[in-house]
Amino acid sequence: MMDLAKEKAARLLKKRASVSSLGSHEVRAKDTIGKTKDSISTVSYIDEPGHHDDIPRPTVHMENTYQLTPPQRFPVSTVKDILKDVLTSYLQEEKYEADLCRQMTKTISEVVKARVKDLMIPRYKIIVIIWIGQIRDQNIRMGSRCLWDATHDTYSSHSFKNNSLFAVANVYGVYFE
Amino acid sequence: MDEFQSAEETTFVVDEITTIIKETVESIIGNSPFQHNRTNSWTSSIIESSLNQLSKLGKPFKYIVTCIIMQRNGAGLHTANSCFWDNAIDGSCTVRWENNTVYCIVSVFGLAI
Repeated sequence: MMDLAKEKAARLLKKRASVSSLGSHEVRAKDTIGKTKDSISTVSYIDEPGHHDDIPRPTVHMENTYQLTPPQRFPVSTVKDILKDVLTSYLQEEKYEADLCRQMTKTISEVVKARVKDLMIPRYKIIVIIWIGQIRDQNIRMGSRCLWDATHDTYSSHSFKNNSLFAVANVYGVYFE
Repeated sequence: MDEFQSAEETTFVVDEITTIIKETVESIIGNSPFQHNRTNSWTSSIIESSLNQLSKLGKPFKYIVTCIIMQRNGAGLHTANSCFWDNAIDGSCTVRWENNTVYCIVSVFGLAI
């Protein structure tokens, strides 16, 4: 019983990037590939081959750590500085162009994710979302709400604007219990 | 010993969530034209209603829901997301909805506890 419980509870934290950009032809299909005996199969289709490790790693059984709270909180201000830095350095001089911005959103989200990962905050899952849009006298309203544990989970956000485009970046940090 | 929930109850089911979100947006915006003073209440209602329905599913997930409402003006918008999580149990889905004057994009991220 304990083994079955451990097996079901044991999960490898896979360092896998799943990047999707919304164009006019957005299609996403997902089925699942698994390694443990009662899992289902997964293949995720993304635009570029990306960084998939095709070699399945052996399942690691993790022991219970009896840890209730994170040893280190999610550093909101540090992450905001990262976002500010990345957005201004990549977009300061750019003009809005469809292809460029499509690539740019993917690149920026990968870069931000890599830099936040470098902060090495243990047991936190990270979600990075980037929006880049054209300025053309339109109105836009963005909202986000989260159902989570407010004491441990948090987010950081930054927006950037120049003459022809605007960019918004959000990073959510969710504690993995 | 604890009984663990079956596989269907602990995975992120994209189709179910897509349906929920589509119905929510349809019921809140429907055929209305874009009005700047209403966007705030639209986003709040869409997100609140989606979260309520997601929590009613009773699955052991933390949810992040984002909603963007944009006027259809010929302007372009790109979005990308990059996630550091466990691919086997966490998932996301994005729903794009439009009418004659409004674009609405809702993204839901579900992270297993």
